[in-house]
Amino acid sequence: MTTVRRRHILGSLLLAPLLTACFASGGGDSAGDAKDGTRLRVALAFPPAENLSPYGADATILSRLGVTEGLTALDANGAAAPALAASWRRENDRTWLFTLREATFQDGSEVTPKAVAAALTHATEAKPAPAALAGVTLTAQAAGTAVRITTGAPDPVLPLRLSSPSLGVLSPKAYDAKGAADPVGTATGPFELTKVNGSTSATLARFDDYWDGRAQASGVDVRFIADGTARASALRTGEVDVAEAVPVAQAATLDKNTRKETATTRTTSLLLNARSGPFKDPGLRAAARAAVDTSALAQGVYEGHADPGAGIYGPALTWAEGKRQQPAGRAKAGAPNGARITLATYDNRPELPEVAQVLKQQLEKAGFKVALEVREYSRLESDALEGKFDAFVLARNTLVDTGDPVAVLAGDYTCDGGFNIAQLCDKDVDGAVAKAEGIADTAKRQDAAMTAEAAILGTDAVVPLVHQRIITGVGGSVSGVLLDPYERTLLGTGTRR
Amino acid sequence: MRRQVTALLWRAVLAVALVCGIGLLPWLTRTDPALTVLKARSADRDPTPEVLADIRARLGLDQGPFHLLGQWLGGLGHGDAGRSWLNGTEVTPAVLQALGVSLLLMAVALVAAAVTATLVCARTLWLGARRGLHGRRAGGGGSAVLAALPEFLTASVLATVVGVHLGWLPALGWYGPEWTVLPALALGLPAGAVLGRLLDDLLPGAFTEPWALAADARGVPGRRIARQSVRRCLPGLLPNLGLFVVGLTGGAVAVEQIFDIPGLGRTTLQAALAQDLPVLQAGTLTLLLLAATAAGLAALATHRLTGPALRDGALSSLHRPAPPARRTLPLVYGGLLLAVVALGLPRDPLALDTTARLQAPSGTHPFGTDALGRDVLARVSHGALDTLLLAAAISAAALLTGVLLGLLPRVSGPLVDTVNAVPPVLLALLVTAVAGSGTATPALAVGAVAWAPLAAHTAALLRQERAALHLTATRGLGASRAYLLRHELLPAVLPPVTRHALLRLPGIALALASLAFLGLGAQPPSPEWGLLLAENQPYAERAPWAVLAPAAVLALLGAFAVSAAGGVRWRGRRPRRRTPATAVELPSRTPELVGTP
Repeated sequence: MTTVRRRHILGSLLLAPLLTACFASGGGDSAGDAKDGTRLRVALAFPPAENLSPYGADATILSRLGVTEGLTALDANGAAAPALAASWRRENDRTWLFTLREATFQDGSEVTPKAVAAALTHATEAKPAPAALAGVTLTAQAAGTAVRITTGAPDPVLPLRLSSPSLGVLSPKAYDAKGAADPVGTATGPFELTKVNGSTSATLARFDDYWDGRAQASGVDVRFIADGTARASALRTGEVDVAEAVPVAQAATLDKNTRKETATTRTTSLLLNARSGPFKDPGLRAAARAAVDTSALAQGVYEGHADPGAGIYGPALTWAEGKRQQPAGRAKAGAPNGARITLATYDNRPELPEVAQVLKQQLEKAGFKVALEVREYSRLESDALEGKFDAFVLARNTLVDTGDPVAVLAGDYTCDGGFNIAQLCDKDVDGAVAKAEGIADTAKRQDAAMTAEAAILGTDAVVPLVHQRIITGVGGSVSGVLLDPYERTLLGTGTRR
Repeated sequence: MRRQVTALLWRAVLAVALVCGIGLLPWLTRTDPALTVLKARSADRDPTPEVLADIRARLGLDQGPFHLLGQWLGGLGHGDAGRSWLNGTEVTPAVLQALGVSLLLMAVALVAAAVTATLVCARTLWLGARRGLHGRRAGGGGSAVLAALPEFLTASVLATVVGVHLGWLPALGWYGPEWTVLPALALGLPAGAVLGRLLDDLLPGAFTEPWALAADARGVPGRRIARQSVRRCLPGLLPNLGLFVVGLTGGAVAVEQIFDIPGLGRTTLQAALAQDLPVLQAGTLTLLLLAATAAGLAALATHRLTGPALRDGALSSLHRPAPPARRTLPLVYGGLLLAVVALGLPRDPLALDTTARLQAPSGTHPFGTDALGRDVLARVSHGALDTLLLAAAISAAALLTGVLLGLLPRVSGPLVDTVNAVPPVLLALLVTAVAGSGTATPALAVGAVAWAPLAAHTAALLRQERAALHLTATRGLGASRAYLLRHELLPAVLPPVTRHALLRLPGIALALASLAFLGLGAQPPSPEWGLLLAENQPYAERAPWAVLAPAAVLALLGAFAVSAAGGVRWRGRRPRRRTPATAVELPSRTPELVGTP
């Protein structure tokens, strides 16, 4: 008996380290010095897909956590605001001069024009190119205390473009010979990435030499929790202080004070296939538009956590509402007479299948016969782009990576658009979009974008359904969370608990 | 020895075929891996030709599948499983880490399963130890209900109630022993219920074997007899236990998601969706190795437990004449099920009213309403026919295939392990690659795995049955192989395997629904039961009735199937010999009878 027991003890001694290896390593020690500020615990929705590479979608994570910064940032009105660049001016059509502010990289080296130019050059060489640089050629050179950026073609929105998280500036140490960039300890933001545990968690420390003052929180423990319900539970059990993107279905389980809503630039729309099938007929498109009751969706499916669709741009773009023009030249609604249509959507956003089911009923009431097709997004997209469905429910970020409102119109609704699910090819629309693309002045560009929006809505190829609000769960004791309609910031120097 | 070499070769052939199948998957399904990789990296990024071309160049996709496959296999020799297409990290350490997490989860889940199985068998063991089994019929309603519980439902309930509301145990994460309890319970309860049912099915036979009678006559304590009876029955279960081990390691996706556990299930699911082939191949290969190991250990354990008896053909049949099944219980379960369906049929399952969403059960909506304000009772009832017909058809096909292949254990053994080890989503993708995305594809995809546990069960029972003494006797009397099969082996094996198949019927309905996101199977707004469960899961806390109703009918179906299956017997083999006066039931056809008390 004793030998058996001894063997057991020996076995468990051997097993112990093996077992610890089988657990995930935690986000770190959350105890902090009270005087020095406590650590924040944050649950993010999207685990890093590419090891926090600054060139892909992970760049948004870095930007939201206050790790990286670019030359510019977006202000509340969607205009470019100073970040690492204190100011800028346009020297000529193709050349811009960005004057840098005094700042330090997290590895201690100084932010020099040369380092910034090198960082931007690395970004232009990345494959695939960062979304903000798609179709753009750009060269950056140091010029005294400034960086001179020359574009291949005139680019009126360059300062907006440079606000993209994927153009964050890292110190020369970050780049290896193969062109990969490592943001651990090499960025310029108020928080410094110290450890990344794959796609489960990450640890951030405060960067004391941040140019805009020291952050109040002494560090951040980040957990990546893909499941929305799990994120909400983490907040409710007090395991995290901030939970990003709480799904609508879970919002009601959170305390009202912990629920912060922000209008986002994401618009959910019904896209009607204008090239083939029943919706080739503008009259039927008009009938479909008339049949849709957007407030039933905003209230019934989104439980009031969304605004009924007003246009392609939602209330998050604060300038849009005042400049909106009535769509002109809409066709008269025809009679569907039982026209059969397929309505497709994806289940990666849990509300979309529900939206599609409500739409099905509304459209059937108007006389259509609707078949639903719901799949995982990556199994659906190519069919949608080829125009295999008559109608498609899509949640689309209308400000994409460039921060330029016109880009989404050009991509989604012009003959040559790369993401034209509505299969729209209309001379007037193309003309209006092209006109908007050529304007540099922010306000005038916005005006032109709204004219183009009216032209697009006039075709009825797109029916804006709802403008989503993002729900961020913020624990009671936490203050200073940066709720950003562009989903680019979350933590800043003033965030603390 | 030669037999083992052939088995090993067959296993290797299957593994190679599977890995090659995965390597060719994107080309077979004509789904561009550059596109799926891009979407997995960034859902918002537009798939422009330049971006796709860049990714293709990076991954070397233009060199074609065979070159990539060769490269990957070449690296495998020195433990290098390549780099992930998604994020460029090395595959081997990532997969091993996920495997470690999953193995630990599985191990704790097995403990939970063992406890559950013990509880399921407790009544039989208690009665058996006291020689009070005679004439008692098997229960099993409770265990069937447990077995029909969808893992994700148990998991959400445990996470919400125990984790969030009571705060007794952490609700998510994977940082230490206390984090393992809830996920292990969610996985272990249904698995333990199935294993417990199977064991409970065999135990009465063991208690009536001559040795048990003799031991009892000698005054050996009932506890020891019970322990030996369990030991006697285990070999019939071990292959299925092995399947659970592998299945829980690689297929615990729902539980891993709800509890945020970085395990192999999620890793392979993500890789399958993104077509991250190196990770997918490595993950699958790891699972295959685990399956082979589990099968080897199961064989070894069987040998240790009953080896000499198997060799000498000195076992007696665990199959015994069953007492007539309960007539009332299945009637009650079936009646309830029918009543629910009948009550809901006049209602409209599709009429939605977003102003009446998530309403609690009331007079107008006896089962409440779902997230779109539809009547849950109507949906449950209208979904019954589709769900039941398809699930029953797949079960029947799986039973037939399982029994047929179970008769050829040397062919089917490795095949069973392989099929069972493949993550369900991957299998569905492979089936789609071969069969296209027609209406029969989801049924094929589910049926392709469903037969495996039945075949394993058949093979295990057959092996024991072949070693039974009465077979030697019958053979000695000059019976042909066909006669033996028809009159001795099948009658002994079919009833328990059929009961097993029925026990898994609700699981098949759930598996069908789990493929919907690939665009296979029922699409909303169809009220198919699995779909009902899936679409109402996010609201489980706020509107529990919307998930509980379909879960309850599924459980009812399980209970009905199992209680009705108590009557599954071989027609030609009615109970014949019974010693009327004694409380002991004699094992049928055992030539020598050892001391009756």
